[in-house]
Amino acid sequence: MSLHGCEHLTSLKAAYGIQPFYIIHSYFIACSSIEARRVKAKSCFCHTCRYRGLRVHACLSCVYFGCYNEQHIHNHAKTKKHNLSVDLSYGTVYCYACGTFVYDEELENVARKQQRAAAATLGIKRDFAPWEPGQDEIELLRRNPKRRKVSENSHIGLRGLINLGNTCFMNCILQSLTHTPILRDYFLSDQHHCHMTANPQQCLVCEMGRLFQEFYSGVRTPYIPYKLLHLVWTNARHLAGYEQQDAHEFLIAALDVLHRHCQGTNGLSYSSSHHCNCIIDQIFTGGLQSDVTCKQCNNVSTTIDPIWDISLDLGPGPGSTTAAIAAGSNLVLSAVGDPALPMAVGPALVDLPTASLSPASGFTNSPSNYEPTSLLDCLKRFTRPEHLGNSAKIKCSNCSSYQESTKQLTMKKSPIVACFHLKRFEHSTGYHKKISTYVSFPEELDMTPFMSSSRNNSNGYTNQIVRESATGLSCDNKYSLFAVVNHSGTIESGHYTCYIRSHKEQWFKCEDHVITRATAGEVLSSEGYLLFYHKQLLEYA
Amino acid sequence: MADLQERKIKDAQMRATINQKLVETGERERLKELLRTRLIECGWRDQLKAQCKEIVQSKGLEHITVDDLVAEITPKGRALVPDNVKKELLQRIRTFLAQQSSM
Repeated sequence: MSLHGCEHLTSLKAAYGIQPFYIIHSYFIACSSIEARRVKAKSCFCHTCRYRGLRVHACLSCVYFGCYNEQHIHNHAKTKKHNLSVDLSYGTVYCYACGTFVYDEELENVARKQQRAAAATLGIKRDFAPWEPGQDEIELLRRNPKRRKVSENSHIGLRGLINLGNTCFMNCILQSLTHTPILRDYFLSDQHHCHMTANPQQCLVCEMGRLFQEFYSGVRTPYIPYKLLHLVWTNARHLAGYEQQDAHEFLIAALDVLHRHCQGTNGLSYSSSHHCNCIIDQIFTGGLQSDVTCKQCNNVSTTIDPIWDISLDLGPGPGSTTAAIAAGSNLVLSAVGDPALPMAVGPALVDLPTASLSPASGFTNSPSNYEPTSLLDCLKRFTRPEHLGNSAKIKCSNCSSYQESTKQLTMKKSPIVACFHLKRFEHSTGYHKKISTYVSFPEELDMTPFMSSSRNNSNGYTNQIVRESATGLSCDNKYSLFAVVNHSGTIESGHYTCYIRSHKEQWFKCEDHVITRATAGEVLSSEGYLLFYHKQLLEYA
Repeated sequence: MADLQERKIKDAQMRATINQKLVETGERERLKELLRTRLIECGWRDQLKAQCKEIVQSKGLEHITVDDLVAEITPKGRALVPDNVKKELLQRIRTFLAQQSSM
C-alpha cells in the first residue's frame, strides 16, 4: 500500500488540485458546521436510485453521487470517463480504472485534519488511532527480519528469580510488577527517558526496564536481580540487610524510588503532594477521599489524599488495633461526658497513622465487631461511615466548636492498578502476631460501591452524586485480579510466594527460581496478603 | 399485500427521517464514535483484523480485492457484535428520539 495514489489520481490532482476532495470531505464526510451537516442529511444519496445507505460515492470530476452496491458509480465512471470518486461513508478514494481504492498522502493529511476538526465540534475525543510505523521503524523492522510469534503456550515473560538471601519478599514484588500489563507495555515500548543525568547508573527506572528486557528475552534460566536489589537498598536504607522484610513495605519503597527517579536526580518523594505525571503515578496512584461531617451543623469537610495501596484491617472491629488503644480505653471511659477533656484524649485516639490509612483505629463506636472473611467485607468496613464518639471530637471549621462527627472514607479516583494489602501482621507493643484467617477475594472486582460517587449521604450531597455518576462510565471501576503475594509461616520465620496471571486464565506460581503452572482455584483459595487488580477497560484478550 | 407494501414504505420513510435528524444534530457521529470505542474495548476490532488477515492469506495478497473482503467479512462482523453493545446503542438512539419528539 503506497501513499502515492495512482496515475489517474495524480493527473486529476494536477488538473484540479485537492479542492474537489476537500469540499466533498467537509460537507459529506467530516462536517464541522451545522450547515454542512444539513447539506449532508439532505443531499447524501445516489442520483440514480435514490439509495441513502452506506457506500455512496461522490464523483471527483463532476457533481454526481452514485452508490457502489448497484454499480451506479461504476457506470458513471465508465460512461463519463470520470475514474475517481470518494466513498462518502469512509472518505476513501476509489479509482475505477485501477479497480481498487487508492491512497494519497496529501489527501490523507486533509482527511485527518478534517476529522479532528469535526470531532472537536461535536465534543468527541478521538484518542485512538492505529499505530503506523515511521520511516525509522520501517528501517528497523527491515534490518531485523527475525520475528518471534507469541503463541498460546508460549512462556514469554516468565522467568524465575534467584533468592539472594531472604529476598523472596523482593522477588514476589518484582514478579507482580513485571506482570502488570500496563507497566510491561510502558517498558517494552521504550517509553522511559532517563532524567537522572547526573548519575544514570543509579536510575531504578532504567534498571526496571532492564528487568523487563531480561524477562522477555526468552532466556529460561533464572535471573539474578542483584543490581536492582542494590539500587533499592541504597535508596531505601531501612530495607537494607539480609533479614526477611515485609513485601508490602518493599512495594511502597520501590514505587517511591521509581516515582522519584522518574523525575530525575532531585525527584520529590511521594509524600510531597506535588502533581507528578510519571508512569508510577499514572498507574498506581488513586485518590482516597475522607469526608468528616459535623453532627451539629452538617458541614462536610473533605480531603483527598493520594494513595498507592489500600491497607485493610482484618480481625474484629475496634479491638483489632494496637495495645495502646487497650491502654487508652480507660481514659476514654472517664472522659465521656466531660466537655473539658475531649482534646486531651483526642490525639491519642484520632491520630491516624497515614501509612496504614485504616479507619478502624481508635473509634470506639464501630458498629460491628464481625471479622471480615472476604475482600468485599473488608472494603465495606473500610468505606463505612464511622461515628467519631464523644471522646474524639473534632473542631468544625463551620460552626467553630468541638462536635461529634461522622467520618467516611471512599475512593475518589480509582487507580489503573489497585493494590490491596491485607494487614495480617500485628505489631503492637510487646507482641507480634500474624492473622492467618482465610479472606476470600474475587477474580473480578467492581469498585463502584466504594467510590465517592456512590456515597450514600444523608447530608444533601445528592447533586454531586448525580452529576458524578452521570459522567462516570459504569464499566470504569471493574477490575481483574492479576497477581497475589502470599506469606506462609509465622511472623518470625516466613516465606513469600506469589501467583501471577500471564495470558488470560493462565496462572503461574512463582517461588523464587521455580515457576509452576497453577489453577485459578488454587490462587483464589490461597491466604492472600497482597492482591493486585488491574482495570479491565485497558486490558482484553 | 398492499398493507405490507405500505408498511414497508412508511418504515423506510421513518428510517430516512430519523437518519436525517441523526446527521443534522451530529448525533450520528457521536454514536459512531461510541460504537467504535465499545467494539475496540470488547476485542471485536482485533478479532475482525485477524479474520481479514486469514482471508487475505487464503486468497493470496496478489489476488485479493476489496469486494472479496467486504463480501466475506460483513456477515462475520455483524454476527460478532456483542449483545450488550447493541443494547447500549439502541438505548442511546431511543433516548435521542425521545428528546427529539419532546422538542
